[in-house]
Amino acid sequence: MGQKKRSKTVLLKRILVFTVLGLVIVIIGLALYMWNLSTVIDKRFSARRWSMPSRVYSDSMLLYPGQTVNLKLFYEKLSHLEYRDVSREPEMKGEIYRKGSVLDIYLHDLKTPSKQREGFPVRIVFSDNQIVSIERMDTNQQVPILELEPEEIMLFFGRERERRQLVSINQVPVYLIYAVLAAEDSRFYQHHGVDPRGILRALYTNIRHGGVRQGGSTLTQQLAKNYFLTPERTLRRKFKEFLMAMTMELMYDKNAIFEIYLNEIYFGQKGSIAIHGVGEASYYYFGKPVQGLSLAEAVTIAGLIKSPNHYSPYINPERCKQRRNTILHEIYKNEWITKEERDFALASPVKSVGYTAYGKKAPYFIDYLAGQLPIFYSPEDLASLGLSIYTTIDTQVQMAAERALERGLARLEKANSALRRLEPDKKLQGAVIVMQPKTGYILAMAGGRDYSVSQFNRITQARRQPGSAFKPFVYLTGLSEFTPSSLLSNKPKMYEVAGKLWQPQNTNPVAENGLRLRTALATSDNLATVDLAMKVGLKSIVNTALTFRFSIPMAPLPSLTLGAFEVIPLELARAFCTFAADGVQPYPLSMKAVVDEKGLILEQRHLKIESLISPGEAYIMNSLLRSVVTDGTARSLARRGITFPVAGKTGTTNGYRDAWFVGYTPDILALVWVGFDNGDSVYAEGAVAALPIWAELMKALPRYTSGSWFRKPPDVVTRIICSQSGQLAVKNRCPEPLEEIFLKKNVPTKYCPLHH
Amino acid sequence: MLIFWIAVSGCAVFIPSPEDTPTMRIEEQLSPGKQAEPREIASLQLTKQGRMLLENGKVDEAITVLEQALNIHPSNGRNYYYLSEAWLMKNNSLQAKEWNHQAEMYLSDDKYWLKKVLDQKAKIRKQFK
Repeated sequence: MGQKKRSKTVLLKRILVFTVLGLVIVIIGLALYMWNLSTVIDKRFSARRWSMPSRVYSDSMLLYPGQTVNLKLFYEKLSHLEYRDVSREPEMKGEIYRKGSVLDIYLHDLKTPSKQREGFPVRIVFSDNQIVSIERMDTNQQVPILELEPEEIMLFFGRERERRQLVSINQVPVYLIYAVLAAEDSRFYQHHGVDPRGILRALYTNIRHGGVRQGGSTLTQQLAKNYFLTPERTLRRKFKEFLMAMTMELMYDKNAIFEIYLNEIYFGQKGSIAIHGVGEASYYYFGKPVQGLSLAEAVTIAGLIKSPNHYSPYINPERCKQRRNTILHEIYKNEWITKEERDFALASPVKSVGYTAYGKKAPYFIDYLAGQLPIFYSPEDLASLGLSIYTTIDTQVQMAAERALERGLARLEKANSALRRLEPDKKLQGAVIVMQPKTGYILAMAGGRDYSVSQFNRITQARRQPGSAFKPFVYLTGLSEFTPSSLLSNKPKMYEVAGKLWQPQNTNPVAENGLRLRTALATSDNLATVDLAMKVGLKSIVNTALTFRFSIPMAPLPSLTLGAFEVIPLELARAFCTFAADGVQPYPLSMKAVVDEKGLILEQRHLKIESLISPGEAYIMNSLLRSVVTDGTARSLARRGITFPVAGKTGTTNGYRDAWFVGYTPDILALVWVGFDNGDSVYAEGAVAALPIWAELMKALPRYTSGSWFRKPPDVVTRIICSQSGQLAVKNRCPEPLEEIFLKKNVPTKYCPLHH
Repeated sequence: MLIFWIAVSGCAVFIPSPEDTPTMRIEEQLSPGKQAEPREIASLQLTKQGRMLLENGKVDEAITVLEQALNIHPSNGRNYYYLSEAWLMKNNSLQAKEWNHQAEMYLSDDKYWLKKVLDQKAKIRKQFK
């Protein structure tokens, strides 16, 4: 009996020892595992916590009294800037109220690399398309110049495609904190990561209702799940979640954990983009920063956490409101708000601001910009560092360019069935670039007809023959010896080129044997141009091309003068800018500044200019190219509604493979190219295929077409000449005298020999 | 405390917003007898701000504002003058010369400004001899 009792005791002792040993091993194992988890958590929390996509912005827009605007494009821009129409005076940032010719706007805050400004209400009065006055509605002060914030045109997303705006817990209104706690974890500040009471309560509720009504997860558990773990529902994953939550609570204080939670939590979709964090959610749903949320709005946002797409005000406002009101009652029950506050919030309607789905704007420009950025930033940096990249793009000009191009190409296809193609990637193509010639700002870039079909950028990557669009550079070279009134030969001539004979032809027959230089360029006469080139010297023309930074090498052959070699369209546009900028060539500018997420300027680009030709030479070229528009191959611009002074040049290549028009004023330059990628014929000259697109574009941009002309520089003089001899006119003898301009160094000194 | 104040004030750059309207100096008023275009008036507002920024030593910010002014009104000769000043302050003789050359062209009719431009030209020559 005693022996039995002793062996029982020994057995019990052994069981006890093994149990204790087992427990110790489990505890040590758990501790080691939690220590390992803490390393993972620490690594993630101390390094960059989130990938913040970098954002690309357009240029800001300046408005001033007396300015003419395209109202349709202007209102579209306001819509893209997330301004919303209201039917009363604007009370909040982002609201606009239109009443006849008066527009009241409550401006958003302005944030650019070098300035920040709080939003304020302003009244703009229009008369037709012209701004009459701009006045602050809060102070009644006249505003001489108003800056509208830059427009976000693209985000560099990583794979996650998430949007967020980080906030610190100090920025978050206290009732948003109450709302989140009431909605998700009211005992957050009492438990240590896992809340057994919460679990039991949830269990009880779910059993009572016969289904899952309540989760027992704490905020910390939710954070562990979203931040570190995969979403599968297994016991193993749940256990890991418990341990991770407890580890986080040991490592960090409650406010730090809550802050991460507020910036991490998912709040729904904006198209294909996920909205994360209360900072982004407050903008997405209410168009304001988190600090500006009312109690009702804050509780609405908190209510979304449980199931954002189910409770979204954009999907079901009534369900959203019910969820909001449930949480309001909870907050009141916890005595975190007063009865009056609760009742006021309960009575408030759910008023979300609406949104524009994310879409990439100016895609060819973005690609061009992105091509420059890898010098400084890798794709991973762009997708994660939350940089702000400010560009020169004017979104209204961009929209006008894309529309003019698409409509112009469609018109050509409709008019000529030979231009129609079934396969989208074989269709008639075109490209447009718009620049401010003095500053080099790229205002718009459409590198093709449809980016979704072809991402090949025909402005920056294509190599096409410019045809007659190159002739201005031949004539510029000739200004060293010749003048606008010099006579050039229009007689057919044979030239020897590398042992072979070459005889240029005119596209259309021209009766005269001799043409004045001005007329020869205006009518794009081939024979006269080659005559000029051979007299000036082909090597000189090659040097001119090099001076103007055409990068593709050119050979000194006679066909050079007719543009029978390739150029990159961007380089052609830049070269023409030199004429429009009084002889100074700007550097084409697309990126103005890069700013990090703290607002520190990392990169800044300023205008760089270089004098290539004298102001006098530029002025004469502008005058000659104006004759192209008034009397020459581009004269159809007038009947297309272009009534302001313009200089320009058409271009057509052999077989009509390329059609060009480059046109400019002191304020704006645009180049249009039309052609097929495979070199098929367009069956139309530049004046027919490209010029109409240019005209439609320019008519949509009254802001840039002031009607001014270039200033005559001191080294240009005016004389009266005989139109037949090109020499100084003899008074009362020459039958057709006319005014002509000359460089001072080249003024004719001889009088007309024909009528002397 | 002083160092902290200097550091913080350096970060909080005051850049006048276009909506601010600093007082015009005599040389910033339009040339007598000249009919002002709206964009010229607007551009001159920004020129003023650029001038103020230069006087405060905020060169990069000044260049940004003056470039905005140029975009509105490319014929505003005073912009070129101040851009030249800005590049002088950045010790870039090439750009200072280019902008001065442009200023000379656009301000050749205005005696007061032409003198300033020629003085600036001499200053550039002297600084980069």
